[in-house]
Amino acid sequence: MSKLKLGIDIGGTFTDFVLYDEKSEGIFFAKSLTTYPDPTNGIFNGIEELEKRFGLDISKVETIVHGTTLVTNAIIERKGAKTALVSTRGFEDVLEIGRELRYDIYDLFLTMPKPLISRDLRIGITERVDTHGNVVTPLRKSELASISQLIEKEDVQAVAVCLLNSFANVEHEQTIGKYLAKHHPEVSISLSSNIMPEIREYERSSATAMNAYVQPLTDQYLDRLKQKLNHKNFTGQLLIMISNGSLTTLEGAIKIPIHLLESGPAGGSMAGVFIGNKLKYKNLLCFDMGGTTAKASLIHEGKPEITHHFEAGRVKRFKKGSGLPVRIPVIDMIEIGAGGGSIARVNELGLLTVGPDSASSTPGPACYNLGGTEATVTDADLVLGYLNESYFLGGTMQLSRQKAVEAIRNTIAKPLGISVEEAAMGVHRIVNENMANAARVHILEKGMDPRHFSMMAFGGAGPVHAFGVARLLNAPSMIIPVGAGVASALGFLVSPVAFEKIHSHIKLLDDLDWNYVNDFLAEMTQLGNRFVTDNSKEKNHEISRVVDMRYEGQGHEITIEVPDGVLSADLKEEIKSRFEKEYTLRYSRIISEVPLEMVTWRVQVKGPTPSIEIVQKSDAVDKTIAIKGQRKAYFKETGYLNCNVYDRYSLRANEKINGPAIIEEKESTVIVGLNGTFYLDKDKNIIIEM
Amino acid sequence: MSLIDQKIDSISLSILWSRLISIVDEAGTTLQRTSFSTVTRESNDFAVVLMDAHGRAIAQSSISVPSFLGVIPMLTKALIKDYFPLDQWEEGDVVMTNNPWLCAGHKPDIGIVSPIFHNDSIIGFIGTIAHSPDMGGVLWGAGARDLYEEGLMVPPTKLYIKGVPNETLFNIIDHNVRASRQTLGDIKAQVAANTQGIKSLKNLMHENDMTDLEEVSDLIINASEKAMREAITKAPDGNYKYTYETDGDGLGTGCHFEIDVEIKGSNISVDYTGTSGQHPLSINAVLNYTYAYTAYPIKCAFSPEVPNNDGAFKPIKVWAPEGSLLNAQKPAPLGARNITGNMLHSVVFGALAQAIPDKVQADCGSACWCVVLNGTHKGEEYVEYFFLNGGYGARPGLDGEHVLSFPTNVANVPIEVLENDVPVMVTQKCLLPDTAGQGQYRGGLGQRFGFKNIGEESINISLLTEKTVTAAQGLLQGENGAMGGYQIIPERTFPAKGLDKLHPGEELILTLPGGAGYGPVSKRKQSAIQMDKKLGYVS
Repeated sequence: MSKLKLGIDIGGTFTDFVLYDEKSEGIFFAKSLTTYPDPTNGIFNGIEELEKRFGLDISKVETIVHGTTLVTNAIIERKGAKTALVSTRGFEDVLEIGRELRYDIYDLFLTMPKPLISRDLRIGITERVDTHGNVVTPLRKSELASISQLIEKEDVQAVAVCLLNSFANVEHEQTIGKYLAKHHPEVSISLSSNIMPEIREYERSSATAMNAYVQPLTDQYLDRLKQKLNHKNFTGQLLIMISNGSLTTLEGAIKIPIHLLESGPAGGSMAGVFIGNKLKYKNLLCFDMGGTTAKASLIHEGKPEITHHFEAGRVKRFKKGSGLPVRIPVIDMIEIGAGGGSIARVNELGLLTVGPDSASSTPGPACYNLGGTEATVTDADLVLGYLNESYFLGGTMQLSRQKAVEAIRNTIAKPLGISVEEAAMGVHRIVNENMANAARVHILEKGMDPRHFSMMAFGGAGPVHAFGVARLLNAPSMIIPVGAGVASALGFLVSPVAFEKIHSHIKLLDDLDWNYVNDFLAEMTQLGNRFVTDNSKEKNHEISRVVDMRYEGQGHEITIEVPDGVLSADLKEEIKSRFEKEYTLRYSRIISEVPLEMVTWRVQVKGPTPSIEIVQKSDAVDKTIAIKGQRKAYFKETGYLNCNVYDRYSLRANEKINGPAIIEEKESTVIVGLNGTFYLDKDKNIIIEM
Repeated sequence: MSLIDQKIDSISLSILWSRLISIVDEAGTTLQRTSFSTVTRESNDFAVVLMDAHGRAIAQSSISVPSFLGVIPMLTKALIKDYFPLDQWEEGDVVMTNNPWLCAGHKPDIGIVSPIFHNDSIIGFIGTIAHSPDMGGVLWGAGARDLYEEGLMVPPTKLYIKGVPNETLFNIIDHNVRASRQTLGDIKAQVAANTQGIKSLKNLMHENDMTDLEEVSDLIINASEKAMREAITKAPDGNYKYTYETDGDGLGTGCHFEIDVEIKGSNISVDYTGTSGQHPLSINAVLNYTYAYTAYPIKCAFSPEVPNNDGAFKPIKVWAPEGSLLNAQKPAPLGARNITGNMLHSVVFGALAQAIPDKVQADCGSACWCVVLNGTHKGEEYVEYFFLNGGYGARPGLDGEHVLSFPTNVANVPIEVLENDVPVMVTQKCLLPDTAGQGQYRGGLGQRFGFKNIGEESINISLLTEKTVTAAQGLLQGENGAMGGYQIIPERTFPAKGLDKLHPGEELILTLPGGAGYGPVSKRKQSAIQMDKKLGYVS
């Protein structure tokens, strides 16, 4: 083996591995259990398995790409470092006050997320900068000693610094940063002007506090991982997956660890980008359904959609506004509480609802036979014949059909006065509807047409429900990719090294000083070029320059690509027309009499996107007959039908088969409904035509 | 509970219903993202409602603020009855009005209703209501002496006739309001939201072979009514009374509230007889508005999960005597009626605490304080709104949150955005220790917010404060929250509610009241007392 690349994704339950041998084009998958408290143990368990099964020699691996839920979990479980916040005097409580808005207007008993830095660890310093960046009150350096006192007294490990209007003038924050670096070299320091140089003090404080809070543990974790890999004689490059679907270095990840928040899901989307490009699907809806949630992201014209609005550590998982805001670029993902474990029940209105609460792993769905009595989506899927009670997770877990039937009968069929099958079908349909509904709204909000998006499904429950969801969205076709069970880790191997820099500069389009704009764009580009050259060994960079703009007086910005080359007033009309085109797409009108305002400029420099050729080397023995047997499965249109059950690993390429059909693989089951046709392509993806 | 006797089975109904709600939510998102008014876009001060051909609400956008509960269907029913009978609507028509008695109780709230046609007959309506940036008259707030000083009133009028804009009406608005392109922009955003909703509904009807909304509407409304009634039935029957005082003008002419909540079987009737008469300041509420802010806390306490539609509100009746503060008549000024409406939850919870003590919360440091600034900056006229909230009331089992909006739900304007928009500098924004009402569960802290005019011209300012001479009332032996206050530096008098100017160099410091406590202090846990001390919530 040579030219080896290894993707490692640590999830809540499993750590996934994808090993790719560029020379022989071989690809190998593995899974190990995620270990707590030290997840590096799980990594090395998996590596051992790869050594045993495929003869991996880690010292010969050229690149390891890693993603982890470490940062997300630290925030949810509040297990970060003891962190202090330095703010402008008189504004120490901004972090706790937030936006004063309730996220649920009918729940009198709601609780707001507690700030990551409590009041006794927040300290104000006399200084003030105005909105233009002018110093109104100079920084009182004599007060800096009070920060030292707090650090020593409270044994503080990390400090976040967020001063008012620091997006317009970084000087005071930097002075404080230098003081801390000099006097407290052991303490991690996060300056808001580095982390998120954008207007809005609460959101900036929140991101900076979060960054400081998770920095020590990210640093320790990545350092430990590196040591352990070195110990195994790994000498290659270790890259980290970040939330916008690109890769950064170890140092980059330690500097801004909040970029790791969505590394796993971003990997899934990047796998979608890769497979979509390969199969020439420019527009794809990636649909990932697991145990507690379903997620969807869009790939438009071969690129993932990015958003800068994100929340971590929500008090109520699916409630927007119940978390801590963190404005970083993340792949735009909708998430709803609809997974295999989501609980179905009849509500006070006599209607069937599913989720968002879930039966989690214990007791789990009733069919797990671990004491659960509430009906879940998995129970419904089992009753409908979609799941095989003796081949769940590749046969590692026996399901109880009887328990599933009981749960559905008692909690749904009886109260509604319908048959068990009708009730189960109702659960199945409602989950599909919820997902399709969310996806439809998401696509329409972007001014696009759901019918132009094919679907790619992964995750344990994704392929079971994808056909139904795709039907509701009128998607033309569907892909169940190879490696659907390890999609994120696969995505890590096909993501580019990239660097993004932002600059907040709120000015009307008509009032811009173009020399100033060109200067800062050039500086940002240069920084990016240097980073990418250093870390991707390639000089062929893709530079993307975008600006968030809006009608003056509106609160919602739209991101527009900036024309290439040196900008000048001559390009105003071009920029305006790009904005209007996008605005019309979304809102079907323009407001010609209102001037345009530019808010935030962003430059991203990307290295080349690596590609892989997949010839799956499976250790399963090829069978000559793909049909494993037959099973009764229930469909809304017809009731029970006898369906062929296929073994995915034995399907022959390019042989078209008509639905209804059930295709089993280790990690999931693919349901092909009535009037669908499927085949295995040469890359081992299952393609379903609707 | 089964609905299978109907043509639409219960599962299909669940699916249809969530589609209908997502249609109004989607239209709401469009409105929010394309509107100029800070109140609409940052504070969700809008609602989109889908109705059947009788004007009965089927689905209301989920994030709208309470003040719009039930308002659009009432408006639509009134339009059909008194202004445009069903045969006078044509496809492409759009009717607009800001009549406070038909809409949400003051002129800035504009209601816009469009008919939905299918096969040449009306099958329903869609309506939006949103807070416009300006409607002319004196600067929005409590400063107007009568209704006519509060700007333009548009009676129900067709804004579009068969899709063609009524240029005369657009022109009149254009010539009567400040920042007119923003107000007109927002009106057009409302129309666009209606149009989008109609389009999505038609798609849905087409996909499901529906010809009208009657059956869905009946099922939805009946199921909601039934659920609401079941929830009310669980509470003990009786008449629950409570009285409550508010600041009024803050100078001695306060307002007095009396409530009698009658729970009888599955019905709730609320009677405000005994409440003060109309106030000379523009803090008077019309009955529509009183209804919304009375039904809201009732719904929160009894059945928060039941969706907003005509069925959910059928069991709730509200009455206030004509000419009272809560049923104001022409030409009483109404601009800052939110100050009054925002207090009704205190009165309702005070009464309900006797019936369902474990489902209500103690009084909040409401109402939300409002500041409007108007002047010129960089050569352009501006009107800037911003909001500040007091502490949240304690709840059985939970302390109140610090500085959180209730019962309305308005966000603050970020300091950096405010300073970027207008010539002021914020001097402080912090939690205010010792302002929470103590109790077994304590209220949330209030806040202090100061800002200074750093421009060269005086700024017209409209200020709305509350609880500067009264306090949030503790519940079940919980203590009252601290009163709020305000101060201008250099010191001079300044109206608690009304209009003034903030001169260059002057600083206004606002101190927001704390939330009240729930249950006796003697029962508060030691660990909670110590934590409050450690974090400096209590000095």
